[in-house]
Amino acid sequence: MAVSQPKLEKDSEDSSLLPLVHDVIKCMDKDKDGQDVHQELTKLKTKIQKAREQISNMPGIDSSPQEQQQQLATLREQVRTKNQLLQKYKSLCMFDVPKAS
Amino acid sequence: MATLIEKSTKERLLSVLDDLEVLSRELIEMLALSRGQKLPQPGEDTQILELLVQRDKEFQELMEVAQQQGKVHQEMQLLEKEVEKRDSDIQQLQKQLKEAEHILATAVYQAKEKLKSIDKARKGSISSEEIIKYAHRISASNAVCAPLNWVPGDPRRPYPTDLEMRSGMLGHMANLSSNGMNGHLPGDALAAGRLPDVLTPHYPWQPSDVSVGMLPPHHGNDFGLETPGHNKENEDEVEAMSTDSSSSSSDSD
Repeated sequence: MAVSQPKLEKDSEDSSLLPLVHDVIKCMDKDKDGQDVHQELTKLKTKIQKAREQISNMPGIDSSPQEQQQQLATLREQVRTKNQLLQKYKSLCMFDVPKAS
Repeated sequence: MATLIEKSTKERLLSVLDDLEVLSRELIEMLALSRGQKLPQPGEDTQILELLVQRDKEFQELMEVAQQQGKVHQEMQLLEKEVEKRDSDIQQLQKQLKEAEHILATAVYQAKEKLKSIDKARKGSISSEEIIKYAHRISASNAVCAPLNWVPGDPRRPYPTDLEMRSGMLGHMANLSSNGMNGHLPGDALAAGRLPDVLTPHYPWQPSDVSVGMLPPHHGNDFGLETPGHNKENEDEVEAMSTDSSSSSSDSD
């Protein structure tokens, strides 16, 4: 989908630290007193810290992708089996009621 | 065969982030030192830069994987809710089946008991004529229904009266055991079941040829008629001998 692709690229660009490292190096070339360098370094540290918090809060990443796929398949199988069981017993007619003559 | 334990995506992300932090710090420190010392580095900074770029790319890939895993996690949560709902449905069905089984088991048991009773009754069947004869015999003493000519004041009762008990086998046996002791008392004549004629009451409803000893001289408080041949001595004896219909104790001795 065209809409989600740019968003995905933007998200991946947001998570990159290279632009900030580049900004720090550029400041080091331009500014010798270190005021701006210090500011850029603080930004870099803040971004790293935010990235850590974001990773800690992300759901579903406590297992590897393969393990997660296995768990998903297991859950789907459970739902299918239980649906079958319920369908079997609800549609089971144990008694043939004779018609009153 | 050793099984490889895969690291979770979270662990890998944190590890790569730590590497990025270390590499970026190394690079910045190296550039800062090289500026101050004005010494050319033998390409070490290029090596660190390459590693940094590699790690950053790895970090971005892992972040994409983490986002995909987040979506899968949402789907798994929906499936878990569905599983919970099915579990509760199954438990409900189980309860209903258990209840139905209990009801059916009780019904089958009761039906079997009834069949046993039917079989037992069939084996011990009695002809209706015998039953009617027996019913006639046990009701002949007017114990189940009052006689047709019974009126209030009639001394007859559906149970053996005091006099009738004394004139029966038990009364005779008791009389034999105490015969030498109280032979002179009028009560003995009563106990023996032989009433003197003066004590025999005559009532309007009775036929004139009533047998001696068949009726008590006085019974309960049903009537207050004066008896013919009545005198004070006999009245005392009657008073002493009379018993309430509900009392079965005897004070005549």
